[in-house]
Amino acid sequence: MDERRYLSPALLGSVVVIATSGLIYELIAGTMASYVLGDSVAQFSFVIGLYLFAMGIGSYASKHIEHDLLRRFVEIELAIALVGGFSAPVLFLVYTSAGAFRAALYSVVLLIGILVGLEIPLLIRLLEYRLALKDLVARVLSLDYVGALFASLLFPLVLLPRLGIQKTSMLVGLLNALVALAATFLLPLEHGRAWRMRAQCVLVSAALLVGVVVFDLYALRREATFFGAPIVYSTQSPYQRIVITQSRQTTRLFLNGQLQFSSDDEHRYHETLIHPAVAALGHAPKEVLVLGGGDGLAVRELLRYPAIEHIILVDLDPAVTDVFRNVPLARALNREALLDPRVTVRNEDAFAFLDVTTSNFDLVVVDFPDPGNYAVGKLYTLSFYQRLRQRVAPRGVAIIQTTSPYFARHSFWMAAETIAAADFEVLPMHVHVPSFGEWGFVLAGGPGMKAPETLLVPESDLRFISAAELPALFRFPKDMERVKVGINRLNDQPLVSIYTEEWDQWQR
Amino acid sequence: MGPVAALTRRDLLAAIGAAWLVDVELPARRPIEGALLGASHRVGHKLRDGAQAATATRVERADVVIVGSGASGASAAWRLAAAGVETRLLELEPFAGGTSAWGEDGVVAHPWGAHYLPAPNPSALGTLRLLEEMGELTGWDAGGNPQFKEESLCHAPDERLFHGGQWHPSLIPASALEPNDLRELARFRDVRNRYRTLVGRDGRPAFTIPLSLSSRDPELLDLDRMTMAAWLDREGFHSQFVRWYVEYATLDDFGANLTDVSAWAGLHYFCARKLETDQLHGSHYLVWPEGNGRLVKHLLGRMHGHREHHQLVTRVESIRDGVRVSALDLRGSAPVPRTIEARAVILAIPGFIARRLVAPAVAARLTPRASSPWVVANLHVTRPFDPNHAWDSVLYDSPSLGYTDAGHQRTRPSEQTVLTHFRAYGSPNVEATRADLIGRGWASLASDVLLDLAPAHPELADSTSRIDVMVWGHAMPRPRPGFLNAAGREPLETDPVLDERIAWAHVDQSGYALFEEANTHGIRAAEHIAHVLGVNAGTSWL
Repeated sequence: MDERRYLSPALLGSVVVIATSGLIYELIAGTMASYVLGDSVAQFSFVIGLYLFAMGIGSYASKHIEHDLLRRFVEIELAIALVGGFSAPVLFLVYTSAGAFRAALYSVVLLIGILVGLEIPLLIRLLEYRLALKDLVARVLSLDYVGALFASLLFPLVLLPRLGIQKTSMLVGLLNALVALAATFLLPLEHGRAWRMRAQCVLVSAALLVGVVVFDLYALRREATFFGAPIVYSTQSPYQRIVITQSRQTTRLFLNGQLQFSSDDEHRYHETLIHPAVAALGHAPKEVLVLGGGDGLAVRELLRYPAIEHIILVDLDPAVTDVFRNVPLARALNREALLDPRVTVRNEDAFAFLDVTTSNFDLVVVDFPDPGNYAVGKLYTLSFYQRLRQRVAPRGVAIIQTTSPYFARHSFWMAAETIAAADFEVLPMHVHVPSFGEWGFVLAGGPGMKAPETLLVPESDLRFISAAELPALFRFPKDMERVKVGINRLNDQPLVSIYTEEWDQWQR
Repeated sequence: MGPVAALTRRDLLAAIGAAWLVDVELPARRPIEGALLGASHRVGHKLRDGAQAATATRVERADVVIVGSGASGASAAWRLAAAGVETRLLELEPFAGGTSAWGEDGVVAHPWGAHYLPAPNPSALGTLRLLEEMGELTGWDAGGNPQFKEESLCHAPDERLFHGGQWHPSLIPASALEPNDLRELARFRDVRNRYRTLVGRDGRPAFTIPLSLSSRDPELLDLDRMTMAAWLDREGFHSQFVRWYVEYATLDDFGANLTDVSAWAGLHYFCARKLETDQLHGSHYLVWPEGNGRLVKHLLGRMHGHREHHQLVTRVESIRDGVRVSALDLRGSAPVPRTIEARAVILAIPGFIARRLVAPAVAARLTPRASSPWVVANLHVTRPFDPNHAWDSVLYDSPSLGYTDAGHQRTRPSEQTVLTHFRAYGSPNVEATRADLIGRGWASLASDVLLDLAPAHPELADSTSRIDVMVWGHAMPRPRPGFLNAAGREPLETDPVLDERIAWAHVDQSGYALFEEANTHGIRAAEHIAHVLGVNAGTSWL
């Protein structure tokens, strides 16, 4: 067989692959940068600029490669497979720290750019004796641009939605490695060397395949489908799995698979959580305690009151509060509320905190995940609310997240009844949050607490709550009316099973 | 690029591959540490084998000496402190508490024996007084029933059963049982409810706590003539599950199999607890990380006087206006004999030990009891936090009683905890079992624990850093058939008086190891001694 017959078509075919994959890696880098660092225009601009510049470096450096051009060509292809293929997983691993992420991002882009930049001049030189210069340049460059078009259509329309960013990265890497492997058969390489290079190709392909399998094993892909949008941040703390997803318009936080907020309608939830409670208090609070709420969104609403002197936020999981203090995307959502000098973040167990603190608070905001298990369920018991009662100042109020009075009606009223049993006057409330459905809170305070009629914050600052809408929050239509269900105690916790049953019914 | 670079690259790839393989296939496994602890049988057996103290060089004086710092001795010290009497507590072991001992090493305190207290009956006055003093009893409802601190009642979920390869959220795996099992269970429940409210012909409840308040109705006392197994046969309970369920209870409370326990005691277990309040709709177990060690800690914290460990008491004899206590102080390298002359002595130790200390005439008043051996292990584990973990995990078809999670009552989720594994040896041949257990080493006992739990937790060894094992040769009296008459007096009558100034406080008196019994005997002995000493102890706490 005359191997040389295949040389030109093979080399030209690989131009398309290199161009396509190079641009896909660039798009992956740009996408991840805009997820993590925000400001997608700037991030894409930086990534593209750096990538083109790196290609220039590569092209220039290509003049130093003088011998064994075919071998070098395959080796570089393999290097692209390795660096590009693992670019997304590597960036994913350094997600938490904005500094490390930037360093990794720009190194990856620079490296891929240089490698791709080396490859095109090398190709031209390999083909220089087979085609006239005008044909050569015309073919190589046009194929290069065709590849770019391919990539820019394929990535947003097929790869990202179907495979997700991680798998796209590794599978495109695999494609590069397979092209390199094919090249060892099609290109006239010295026999012994060819085998050695084939072995390398197989090793890189295997590594990438293992990457894909491991990735599948860890169910990240399944989660991506489950969460309905690409995951941009995910970590497992000792207490829970934390996932942030980002689609075109919305950012969502999930704890153990349970939606905590969606950026497009969380204002309804958090405005309702904070402003009626402050209004019921009758004056802007000075000392505020927030239990749970590590996303800082409730604190963001509280900081609208200039009179507030000190907010203590107690959230068990430093993994949550760290994200909302450090990751730019998350920090933007709470408007850097957790970095405000008036805010003290304490990563402690709320139950234990209430035991040791001796302070009294004008306002206590209780915003825990729903009572879906016995550990969180402890924070919905009589014992917990009795401790809470001790820490609410004589004329103070507490506002407590108590799941949906519509989907989990018995759960909601059991929480309300338990709060009342801890010697609180209670005013149950509800609001419609599109991503959650009907949601409920219990406003709790001392004797004579009245439902608020006016707000203590300029209505123009708010997107949802207004004084005119306040009465509706406290009116419960027939299908959410009070039901008598009993009290939730630590040694029984009927709330957990009732809650689980009620939600299971809706998910069926 | 020369050959060196190529080599490096290949090496790198090989290294990555190797690292991956090693990581997946050979997780680094640390060896499990641990120690074998045990009620000091070697030292204790010296006494059995006739150790006698040499004469002490000087005579110490004390008001009241209490021998033994378990629940009975600590209760006596607590009661005497309230009467203003100073006590000196002599304890053989390096730790206090007897079988309510506890450990404080590790991430959470943990029990070495008695690990929970069911909400006491309103009639258990001494224990309710103690709980009130501790702040564990927060008040009384309109019906005169005690209310407890909610955090101390076992947090939900309280128990689970590993049956048929999976966990069920209660000791009764309703979904896995045959219709016949369920019918017998329902019938057993009916019998239980009948006895719970039954009043004997003498007007006393059929079964209650303290035991001495139970009915003397001969028809009920007749239940003490047969074993629990015989009673189940007679009543037509043949379901394997029901018999397992009842035996789990007799092992848990008496360390005895169905065939070696009195039916009166077996039914007492199920029918003596009377308290029913809204609060106790869930678990009625009071649970602290250190188990009943929490109660003993409080009792000892209130005593006047002090406690000395490593003291082997060898002789207790009446002298003029007092009692002479001979002991060996085992703190140093060689035993040091000591003599303490006290105004009175309370022996808060089991009968089989006490009878070796006192004059034969006095020994005759001590009731001999068979005692059950136990092995308790504490496993220090680190594993992913499970928000729905139960306090008590029981394995069906296992010879053990399963394990409790000492960290269960914490509100803060944690990956680290201590699991306490219990095994009672319920066969009638207690002596052979004891001999076997004493001869076994730590490795054998610790691996038994892991093997026992393996069906439910095959990976447990990987998450365990330490297993400490305690062998209790004589953990608790075993109420065999006829135990109510064994005291040589009328059934259910007890008397703390051994000699003019020597009193006895121990659950061997009732033959039934419950905290309330120990507490009652401790208080009764203390009040008697106060009376003998002419101290005004106020009205009785019983």
